[in-house]
Amino acid sequence: MDTNTALQTARLLVDEWAAAFETPAPNRLDVYLTRAADLIPAVAGLRVKRLGYLAAITGLDPGAEESNLEVLYHFCAGEAVITLRLRVPKEGGALPTLSEIIPSAEPFERELSEMLGVAVTDLPSRGHLYLPDDWPENVYPLRKDFDQQALPKQN
Amino acid sequence: MQAQPKTERFTVPIGPQHPALKEPEHFLFTVEGEIVTQAAVRLGYAHRGIEKATEARNWVQNLYLLERICGICSHIHALAYCLGVEALADVEAPPRAQAIRTLVAELERIHSHLLWLGVAAHEAGFDTLFMYSWRDRETVMDVLEALSGNRVNYSANILGGVKCDIDEELADTIREGLDFLEKRTGHYLEVITSDAAFLQRTRGIGVMTELQAEVLGAVGPTGRASGIARDIRLEAPYAAYLDHPVKIVLDPRGDLEARFVVRIKELFESYRLIRQILDDLPPGELNVRMPRRIKEGETICRVEAPRGELFYFIKSNGSDTPERIKVRTPTICNMTSVVKLAVGHQLADVPMIVVGIDPCFSCNDRMVVIDPGREEKQHWTWEALRRYGIEYYRERNS
Amino acid sequence: MKSNAKAWQNVLSQVKTWARANSPWVLHFNSGSCNGCDIEILAALTPRYDLERFGIKLMGSPRHADVLICTGAVTRQARERLERIHGQIHEPKFVIAVGSCALSGGVFQNCYNVMGGVDKVIPVDAYVPGCPPRPEAIIDGVVKLLSSLTAPPPEHLPHKEDDMEQGNRDS
Repeated sequence: MDTNTALQTARLLVDEWAAAFETPAPNRLDVYLTRAADLIPAVAGLRVKRLGYLAAITGLDPGAEESNLEVLYHFCAGEAVITLRLRVPKEGGALPTLSEIIPSAEPFERELSEMLGVAVTDLPSRGHLYLPDDWPENVYPLRKDFDQQALPKQN
Repeated sequence: MQAQPKTERFTVPIGPQHPALKEPEHFLFTVEGEIVTQAAVRLGYAHRGIEKATEARNWVQNLYLLERICGICSHIHALAYCLGVEALADVEAPPRAQAIRTLVAELERIHSHLLWLGVAAHEAGFDTLFMYSWRDRETVMDVLEALSGNRVNYSANILGGVKCDIDEELADTIREGLDFLEKRTGHYLEVITSDAAFLQRTRGIGVMTELQAEVLGAVGPTGRASGIARDIRLEAPYAAYLDHPVKIVLDPRGDLEARFVVRIKELFESYRLIRQILDDLPPGELNVRMPRRIKEGETICRVEAPRGELFYFIKSNGSDTPERIKVRTPTICNMTSVVKLAVGHQLADVPMIVVGIDPCFSCNDRMVVIDPGREEKQHWTWEALRRYGIEYYRERNS
Repeated sequence: MKSNAKAWQNVLSQVKTWARANSPWVLHFNSGSCNGCDIEILAALTPRYDLERFGIKLMGSPRHADVLICTGAVTRQARERLERIHGQIHEPKFVIAVGSCALSGGVFQNCYNVMGGVDKVIPVDAYVPGCPPRPEAIIDGVVKLLSSLTAPPPEHLPHKEDDMEQGNRDS
């Protein structure tokens, strides 16, 4: 399947849940979702047609003053990259785990969770993936308001 | 090492100090008798907080930081970063630079695969093969040093192109080196496909079917050894791969032997590519000017590292410092497959199954496997597990 | 009698020092490096460089080692392990920090999970700079450390072996 076909097919497959589309580059389609509940159906839509594989999950903090984080799920099909984008509140927000449909999502979601504080429900593993065991609670290094100086000194 | 009674169930935490693997990682295997019933991994020992650090360094400083995510695949990280930032800035590196970048990437693949071959051989107890492959690898190290000035962290990339050139003399040195390596590689292929003791540890062991590989998200040679026809150089070509397409190396068998065969055959493909690039090196500039501030935007850059797909997401806010850089390395994709594959195998096969994915732990840190709810833990070093595997097979043969 | 015993002590000391200097058993620890230094250390064992001809042997356990070769900037996670391993090595022990990261944190200085160098955690006897240092530089560092062991100790410092021998004779 060539790039354009992949992108067009993806558009159709997730149309039901997409609030908006953008094409930031000729090989890329950004799909803006609005509800956490739409994530699994949209992903399933792609998976049912075996369109693309989950290459990575990126978490973004738009700024300390913003109340939402943004999570990007990147699906790649040849040269095409289809990114599902979802905002999730910093306080009390949660996303469902993809790991039941896509086992390889688990380490990506664990990283997202510990680095940015996105709660991912029903993750099979507990505990940190990268951060040390003695890392303080509720401190998320990739958030913009992370204060390195405030970390407990190790001595 | 005490022998384990057949019915006892115990967990084997491995790590974090591994003289052979030279990378601190921590695995936890739950074993019933000889068979692994559960496996887990925990990263963290090489987690340095690099993604966060990129937000406090400018675009140029970040090149030097990201090169050092991994000493084995330093160039490919820098390449992905440069290609991404250049895309954001709407700048194209000149053709000669792209060709040299590609050539160095293939040299890196060669050094990495030979390094892996030695380490994997060492895991199986074949230290002669380890010594020979690392001796032969020195040929590539010499070439990289002649080209860039350093054996490791060659730093050939700069934003906008490359900083080192290849003249005719160096090109001839490279060709001679490749001729030597090609002969040696032929020899290695023969050894690993015909040595009975080696095959006992690889043929039919650690089998991952194509479906399993697809579901578990295996990438790179690990995936290709299970028939997954995915190679970023081919499906999303970058740098000079557009002009010099790669021939994909696949093996349908999905066992450890297939993983050896795929990587060795990829060496032949790398030799061919380098020769082709050398014969066709475009003339011209080595680099172009890059702005200090990079235009606002997001870009995604995917490249084929020696271990598989390397994924970079780069976001600029228009300043001289990135807004966000996300690095997804190949080993984390393949780690899930190891964890699932180990289950049902003998403990003695575990070292080879782990090394079979060519794990680069500094690329994505360490994994520690923690088995919940076990009281009686035995702490083994990786060296102990490695020896256990070697002894197990030695006893079987006697 | 006393002067003979003292002379014999000195000879023993020298033999021990020589043995330690000429056959050190080395333990390698990666405290969170990118592996660049680690692969050059391993390369030092391979035929071209052949560290073993100096009598240097790479060991798997702290209990058998004399020298700890440490790479990496020391991550918070690795810190405790490093301290423990250092503690498990019997005196006299020596520590060599290999690579920019082990010296000072290298490019990872001020990263949130990084201590910033081996000597932030344990005492270091020799530093081998480089990113990474080439195998010759690593060997040079190890050999320099060994040579410093065979040099006579400064007059004003007590000699450990003398104290031990004294203790043995008195009991």
